[in-house]
Amino acid sequence: MKRSRRGAALRHVRLQQVLAIAAIATAVALPVVLLSVGGGVSAHELSNLQNAGYQIVLSAAGDHGILAAHNLTHRLLALASVAAVSPVLSVSLDAYGNSSTPTPVLAEGVIPGEFLATLGPAEAGLFPSPLPLGDPSDSIHFENGSYTGPAIDDVLVSSPFAQANRVAAGASLVLSPAANRSLGVRFNVTGTFGVPPTALGPTGAFAVLVPLSDLQVLSGLATGSHGVTDAADSVEVAVSGSVTTNPTALESIRNEIQSLYPFYGVTSLEQEAQQLQSASSVLTGFYLALSSVGLAVGLLFLALVQVRRVESDRRSIGIRRALGLPATWIAGGLMADGLVVAGAGALAGVVGGYLLVEGLAKWSSAAVQEAARLAVFVPVTLSLLVLAVLALSVLASVAAVRAALRVEITEALR
Amino acid sequence: MSGSRSPHLELRQVERFYHAGRPEEVRALRGIDLDIPPGEFVSVEGPSGCGKTTLLNVVGLLDSPTAGEVRWDGRPVGQRTDRERARMRLQGVGFIFQRFYLLPTLTARENVELPMRALSVPRAERSRRAAELLDEVGLSSRADAFPHQLSGGEEQRVAVARALANRPGILLADEPTGELDSANAEAALDLIERVRRDRDATLILVTHNPDVARRARRHLAMRDGRISADQREA
Repeated sequence: MKRSRRGAALRHVRLQQVLAIAAIATAVALPVVLLSVGGGVSAHELSNLQNAGYQIVLSAAGDHGILAAHNLTHRLLALASVAAVSPVLSVSLDAYGNSSTPTPVLAEGVIPGEFLATLGPAEAGLFPSPLPLGDPSDSIHFENGSYTGPAIDDVLVSSPFAQANRVAAGASLVLSPAANRSLGVRFNVTGTFGVPPTALGPTGAFAVLVPLSDLQVLSGLATGSHGVTDAADSVEVAVSGSVTTNPTALESIRNEIQSLYPFYGVTSLEQEAQQLQSASSVLTGFYLALSSVGLAVGLLFLALVQVRRVESDRRSIGIRRALGLPATWIAGGLMADGLVVAGAGALAGVVGGYLLVEGLAKWSSAAVQEAARLAVFVPVTLSLLVLAVLALSVLASVAAVRAALRVEITEALR
Repeated sequence: MSGSRSPHLELRQVERFYHAGRPEEVRALRGIDLDIPPGEFVSVEGPSGCGKTTLLNVVGLLDSPTAGEVRWDGRPVGQRTDRERARMRLQGVGFIFQRFYLLPTLTARENVELPMRALSVPRAERSRRAAELLDEVGLSSRADAFPHQLSGGEEQRVAVARALANRPGILLADEPTGELDSANAEAALDLIERVRRDRDATLILVTHNPDVARRARRHLAMRDGRISADQREA
């Protein structure tokens, strides 16, 4: 009878231990997923920034806030150490190919000769070189801001768009600023460009590339009531030679551009990378804080299990103490039990988190899959996480150790 | 491992009260004076609740007296720290309990080795000694059995082997045959008596069974926390 009761008690303790392991595993899996995916996406973005072909970017508040983009380009190109200046205008358009149904596309207006020079090696490989968009400087149609020169009306389309709309080089495509074909302009398709294999990449799958002045005219951003607008959304600046790897020289050029255009935001990618890293650190802290709640619950559960175990092992503890076993042995045994449970939970959490990320990379929505595929498992971070759990498990065992050392031997053996 | 010599045990005006000063106060031991020379075999008899086990606990340093003094070889030991008393128990006292109190998660061999492990006896030495002790109590073949796989008699023999592990000078047996049938009880008593004699250890055996008590050379009787009779055989 006593043995069956003891067996039931042992099973109860084991069940509690399994539950504690599950609680800790869940609490550990959460930061593993958040840190690996969040860190992976951040690292990817950081890599994009670091591998971009430009180092400084000008931006303005609101849409299409950069004015006199062609003139600005010429002024910046005149600066020492500036290799390329690429204004970019992004506008949503409707495209009419072989069908009368429009396809929404993101049109990017660029100066063909400058655009390729501001792309990183990976991105540059996606485009034909030179860009088959006619006038490399886009100055003929622009004609010093009068837009009276002959329009090029050439367009490069992305491969997914070309496939989806059965459009190939030599075909024509009507691009319209509204869902009305008659408001559109007929463009000649001169080729296609690839898109990066990730949805998190900078280029949209359904995009077209046109000369900047053509897009400005088409979208009404060439001139306004106050004269020439010559609008763009941003201007990317590539520096030359050793300046790219010299933060001081880069900052000097950035300051120079900022002094020329104090009303625009002038940021170096170095700064953006730092901001991204700072944001990433804040997010990591947030993830850890969020996870610490789960971890606290898991460890409180462990503490409870340990104290309950002392209660159910009261007699065994009494026997050990009666035999004269040192208190450090009894404390060490409980600590070791706590460490085993916490360690098992932490390892299960790491493995579970890894498997969860792998699962998300295979069986979730496209965007989540992309993010999960970028996940980075940093051994040092995971080891620190496990060590933190082990350290906290020692704290969680303190109450149990105190209870064990307060067991009255004669009471326990009664 | 040399083992500890049997000390001369002295109790002077020892009292042990539970819940002292409260209405529910229990006076388990009252003014106990006792001298037990080394190597003596003493039985303690008396009705339930007369203080036999409390006396054994105080002598074996499992419990501290509320008043009075416990001495080993003239040195006061009753009020030492928990740590010191644990060390003295480990080295000098072997306990044999009525309910055996083997650790259920350890095998017979591991139970016997446990006190030696606590004394940091090298693995080979304690393994050899545990094998010797289990052989001595006739359980060589059951060394790897867990307590729940042993009979009551076998459990008590393992408990005797464990009590002898560190070659203690004092053996304290609290109703060691209380849970055994008569055949096993006889065998267990023979074993305890033999190992006491072989080691010249002091043995204090608490029992309420006169037949068991008769094996001792000195007989203490207790009543209401006091020693009511103390007889030595010639």
